[in-house]
Amino acid sequence: MQIRSIIILIFIGWHSLLFPQEKYLTKQGNISFYSHTPVEDIKAENKQVLSIVDLSTGEIAISILMKSFVFEKALMQEHFNENYVESDKFPKATFTGKIQNLQEVMSGDNGVAEVDGKLTIHGITKPVQIEARTDTENEKISLTGKFMITVADYDIKIPAIVRNNIAREVEVSFKLEHLPYR
Amino acid sequence: MKGVKRSVYISGILIIVGVLIGLIAFMRLYNKPHTDVNASDADHTLAAKTLLEAFKTDENNANKLYLDKIIQVEGEIRDISAADGNSIITLGVEGSEESIICNMYPTENKKALGLHKGQQIRIKGICTGFLLDVILVRAVISD
Repeated sequence: MQIRSIIILIFIGWHSLLFPQEKYLTKQGNISFYSHTPVEDIKAENKQVLSIVDLSTGEIAISILMKSFVFEKALMQEHFNENYVESDKFPKATFTGKIQNLQEVMSGDNGVAEVDGKLTIHGITKPVQIEARTDTENEKISLTGKFMITVADYDIKIPAIVRNNIAREVEVSFKLEHLPYR
Repeated sequence: MKGVKRSVYISGILIIVGVLIGLIAFMRLYNKPHTDVNASDADHTLAAKTLLEAFKTDENNANKLYLDKIIQVEGEIRDISAADGNSIITLGVEGSEESIICNMYPTENKKALGLHKGQQIRIKGICTGFLLDVILVRAVISD
């Protein structure tokens, strides 16, 4: 029994030597969205994004609180939370995905990660493909980029009266600077 | 004839005044300021541990109770950091990896410099929910 646990311990130690630090995390990631129409531009920013990247598998998990989006105007923030994304009912948006070209990215051959995954907003999950610029600096691994989402895809209803104020497609930008997890 | 002219005149003025009032009301509503946490009373005052436990045991229920509310929380400083020029004070709970992350209002930067780890503190902020930790935003140090 004891020998077995020693062997297991040795194995774990050896394993962690070979793969020193694979999980990277940030709790202060940045995601913003931007809606442009001739009537008005709307921008909101969320600076409390939780993102975890596992470099051994290329898996990415992102979780954000809808109420953490800050708008310039309090009224817009209120409408966003109460009427559009119904953040009392759906407090979080999530993304889970995988870097498809992990080897290329890891070897430094390609600075752009192709991420395939699922995005859940307003309780609705859709497949998405996102390109993310990857930068490694010391121990920091950052993913930055932008992509478009169609508001109607997520069953977010915009009342007719403000339809001209809110774009059908909004641009989502992200900047996630991960550090080794513990 | 004179009476008709007069009533047209009066109703014209009334319409203009009405539109002006409407416009002012709209602008005021449109430009309504964000909640001033500093000037508002807390909806709930509780210990860091109680708040964290509430979210860990029943997140849905805690969301109903605390989401979007002004929470005053008392606890021990586990970490002080900064992101994008704003201080972030993390309140820890003994025996728990999770914490309460308070994203401070820019006005608090100076005060945050005078703080140190391990210190007991009371912070007031708006709760936006729970990821790995409970998140408070627009937080201020209350005394």
